[in-house]
Amino acid sequence: MQNEQDIAIRLRIVYLTAVLFGIAIIARAFTIGVVQRDQWLAKKNKEVLRYHTVEASRGNIYADDGSLLATSLPIYTVRLDFEVEKLRKAFPEKIDSLADGLHKIFPETSASEFKQELRKGYRAKSRSTLVRKDVNFKELSEMRKLPILKGRAKYGMILESKEKRVMPFRSLAYKTLGNIYDKGKLTGLEAYYNTYLKGSNGKRLKQKMSGGDWKEVNGENEIEPKEGSDIVSTIDVQLQDVAESALRKQLLINKAEQGCVVLMEVKTGHIKAISNLTRSKTDSARYTEESNLAVSATWDPGSTFKLASVLALIEDGLVDTNEIFDTQGGVIRFCNHPIYDSKDGGYGRISLADAFIQSSNVGIIKAVMKGYQSQQKKFIERLKAFHLGIPSGIDLKEEQMPTIFYPGHKNWSCLSMPSLAMGYEVLLPPIQMLAFYNAVANDGVMMKPQLVSEIRHNGKTVKRFDPVVIDSSICSKASIRKVKPLMKGVVERGTAKNLRNPHYQTAGKTGTVKKKFKVNGIEKKSYRASFAGFFPYDNPKYSCIVVIENPSQAGFYGNIVAGPVFKEVADKVYARSREMHQGYVKVLAASEMKPEINPGFTEDLRVIASNTGMKVSMPEARWTRVRQSGAALVAKPENFDMELMPDVTGMGLRDAIFLLENMGLSVKPSGKGKVKKQSIPAGTRVNRNSLVTIELA
Amino acid sequence: MPVIYAKGDRTIWIVVLLLTLLSVLAVYTSTGTLAYAKQGGDTEHYLIKHTVLVLSGLFLMYITHLANYKIFSRIGQLAIWVAAPLLIITLMGGEINDASRWLTVPIINASFQTSDLAKLALIMYIARLLSRKQEQIKEFKGAFLPLLLPIFVTCGLILPANFSTAALLFLTSMVLLFIGRVNIKYILALAGVGVIAFALFILVALNFDLPGRIGTWKARIENFSSEKTEGNYQSEQAKIAIANGGLIGMGPGKSEQRNFLPHPYSDFIFAIILEEGGILLGSFVVLLYLILFLRVIRMIKYSPQSFATFLAVGCTLMLLFQAFINMAVAVNLFPVTGQALPLVSMGGTSIWFTSISIGIILCVSRFCLKDGGKEEADEIA
Repeated sequence: MQNEQDIAIRLRIVYLTAVLFGIAIIARAFTIGVVQRDQWLAKKNKEVLRYHTVEASRGNIYADDGSLLATSLPIYTVRLDFEVEKLRKAFPEKIDSLADGLHKIFPETSASEFKQELRKGYRAKSRSTLVRKDVNFKELSEMRKLPILKGRAKYGMILESKEKRVMPFRSLAYKTLGNIYDKGKLTGLEAYYNTYLKGSNGKRLKQKMSGGDWKEVNGENEIEPKEGSDIVSTIDVQLQDVAESALRKQLLINKAEQGCVVLMEVKTGHIKAISNLTRSKTDSARYTEESNLAVSATWDPGSTFKLASVLALIEDGLVDTNEIFDTQGGVIRFCNHPIYDSKDGGYGRISLADAFIQSSNVGIIKAVMKGYQSQQKKFIERLKAFHLGIPSGIDLKEEQMPTIFYPGHKNWSCLSMPSLAMGYEVLLPPIQMLAFYNAVANDGVMMKPQLVSEIRHNGKTVKRFDPVVIDSSICSKASIRKVKPLMKGVVERGTAKNLRNPHYQTAGKTGTVKKKFKVNGIEKKSYRASFAGFFPYDNPKYSCIVVIENPSQAGFYGNIVAGPVFKEVADKVYARSREMHQGYVKVLAASEMKPEINPGFTEDLRVIASNTGMKVSMPEARWTRVRQSGAALVAKPENFDMELMPDVTGMGLRDAIFLLENMGLSVKPSGKGKVKKQSIPAGTRVNRNSLVTIELA
Repeated sequence: MPVIYAKGDRTIWIVVLLLTLLSVLAVYTSTGTLAYAKQGGDTEHYLIKHTVLVLSGLFLMYITHLANYKIFSRIGQLAIWVAAPLLIITLMGGEINDASRWLTVPIINASFQTSDLAKLALIMYIARLLSRKQEQIKEFKGAFLPLLLPIFVTCGLILPANFSTAALLFLTSMVLLFIGRVNIKYILALAGVGVIAFALFILVALNFDLPGRIGTWKARIENFSSEKTEGNYQSEQAKIAIANGGLIGMGPGKSEQRNFLPHPYSDFIFAIILEEGGILLGSFVVLLYLILFLRVIRMIKYSPQSFATFLAVGCTLMLLFQAFINMAVAVNLFPVTGQALPLVSMGGTSIWFTSISIGIILCVSRFCLKDGGKEEADEIA
């Protein structure tokens, strides 16, 4: 009994302690819950509920034929939540097959790398272990077949999706289409048509949970996002491709700094191709779209501006095209400053027409000074009437304001009039010059350069942008009739004879701007070559401008440097369009094609193949050689070692020059047709700057 | 042939059923977030899972209470020999969890914390030893040392994986020894040694970077001793819950803090109870545990044997201490430990061990009869 009483007493002591402890708990709860109540309520999480943005999917940009130029694709990030029990249980057994499967889908990451990362997450019980980011839908579908991931959310798979802007043609018209990622700043059409493209974002109410995660309050969006509309651009993918590769080739051959080409449809003002390429600072053989030079580069147009000078004189009835001017030995002075003709000694006594065709600075200046010396302001007003010095209104926010000085302006000097007459002391983006040339081609009707023709929503046209006539008559038709033959003369017998061809007639004007500047006190020269014009002459369909800045090889004249780009684009248009020339075009059936063993630039071959209906798939290589294998054609990548002389026999001149120049060789061609002989045998190790002569036949 | 009726102390049954009911409600209200995080918003998933566990627990409780308490003396003796190797195995082999606490039973494929088994085994074993050594209980060599040995071994094996459980079990054992009339001088001396050792350990842990769980303990101690807001996130959220609840609570299912409290369904379930039921309901829960203890004290007045007394008191103390530690953590009297609230918290197989403990108490109660349960027990045996 003694023992039992002892136990009972000890039990009571423990019980009493327990009661006291219980009271302490309640007292503590009372202190927190009642006494300090406000203090703790003040610390309540403020953001219990919050609206989260549900992004609307952005509209597409299409080419004129419906090809997709820019679109938004969902791109996924896949994570695993290693606190999910099912995942923890299955993981040790499935990790090997999961890692192997992931490696098969993403060969660039090894299975052991996957394993290592996932194990790390498993050990740390990480709630969001990254499995893979930038996963496209196809890859995601593959991933969902793998062990664990096929269990989806039940096995802790977390899927985040966001939209990624994708341009299926990659760099094609890159700056014109624009970018939505450039430092948060929209550019190009993406910027100009953003209100249509962006749609409107939705909202979804979410509640904050422990660990900082947000869970949806309701199963659906409180405000549904509205998807953006699509825009249909006027760009023609094929012509764009031709323009871009022609420009790139010409930039490479001439080792130029940058350049642009714009092709415009005369009647509508639709831009069919617009390309801007700038040399990479690190790789001199690489040209990419860095800025939209065609609309944003304010350059002196140079001699292409002489069209405006001549048209002004004719429109104002001051000088006629047959009036003769003495080029006085090819030099004329203003305030002691000489201005020379590009031909030493000048052109003797020539008509205004010939001064234009030969691009005589002295001749044109003398004509302009004769007409406007006493009424300088009238010249400027006439230019304004041609809409020169006024923005073109193209649907790109990047278009820059032009600059033309007035007499009386502080920058106006005794040199200003003569300079302006030949396209100096005036700053115009190429697009504005082109709009003027287009108006001349269009019999004086000036069209607004336009990149987008309609807005579509779910395939239905919701808004149409009809061609806009800026000015139904920038000058009289009679004046147009007088200048057009001069433009044709430039190609037929003037400064751009190299562009002449037997199939169709071209009209235009060359421009070569000479820039002098000083580097460390040494005077240096640089050039800007350009060509602007239209084709075909009789019934103009397209106008086109090409500007190439700082060519440093081959030559610097507009016809040599910029002309070939113009010609290549025009040739392409000519070859493609049957209505443009009267002659019957024999379209060769694929079976009649006799493929030649003829390596070429893959992009070219691809265009050729698609235009002729040849069924052959081109490899992903820069150069390709096509061979006949039985009835089928086989295209194999051609890898040229940049230090060994390649076999260029069978190539066209263009491709051969491009390839050899690209290797740093100087090429001296002779003859016409395809390369038959090369002076350095194929396979020989060659040094840069070696001379190679090729014979064509 | 005597017929055994399933009964036991009715008050204890009522306390248990009330706590169970509360448990189902509290778990349902606090697993919403978890359901979103892990079950894709299926909020009933955890309710059903928990209810099944609780019902099976009640069944185990019922079965256990039908037994003759004397059998637990034998079971305890056996279990202590089973538990120790199992603890070693889990310590060696655990990769499932950073804290190697779990063991998977091969045939039924359920994993359980070996410490749950060890706890029960140790209590039964101490009860057995205490009752056997009552004659020489005040001796050091004859009683204290033999009693201390299994306690040290068991707690020592639990310690590396789960500090708080080991400490709690040690505390329970010591109090049980005290009730079992062990010389108080020895217990106090041991407590003194323990305090010094623990102080040394904390000093070492705070000053050196130690791997594994020690890092976690260190963080907890640091968080409790210094008022770092980031580290005190859990207790701060718990306090907000208590403040939300005030005196009468926000009402069932109205908890806000369940979304911010980690483990609102186990470690911090008492905070959720305080939030939804206020201090009123919280006090009631404390009261229920105290009533349980009181009923046990009452009934063992008629205990047939000292073993029955120590067995029932041991099981009760274990539940009570765990419950009070959990609640003390929720009201920030104690640093965060990770002890569940027995009979209330959601938790897999540990519910079964709690149920067995209650079953044992109820079982003993069946033999605590004013008119000589001793004879009846002997008769049955």
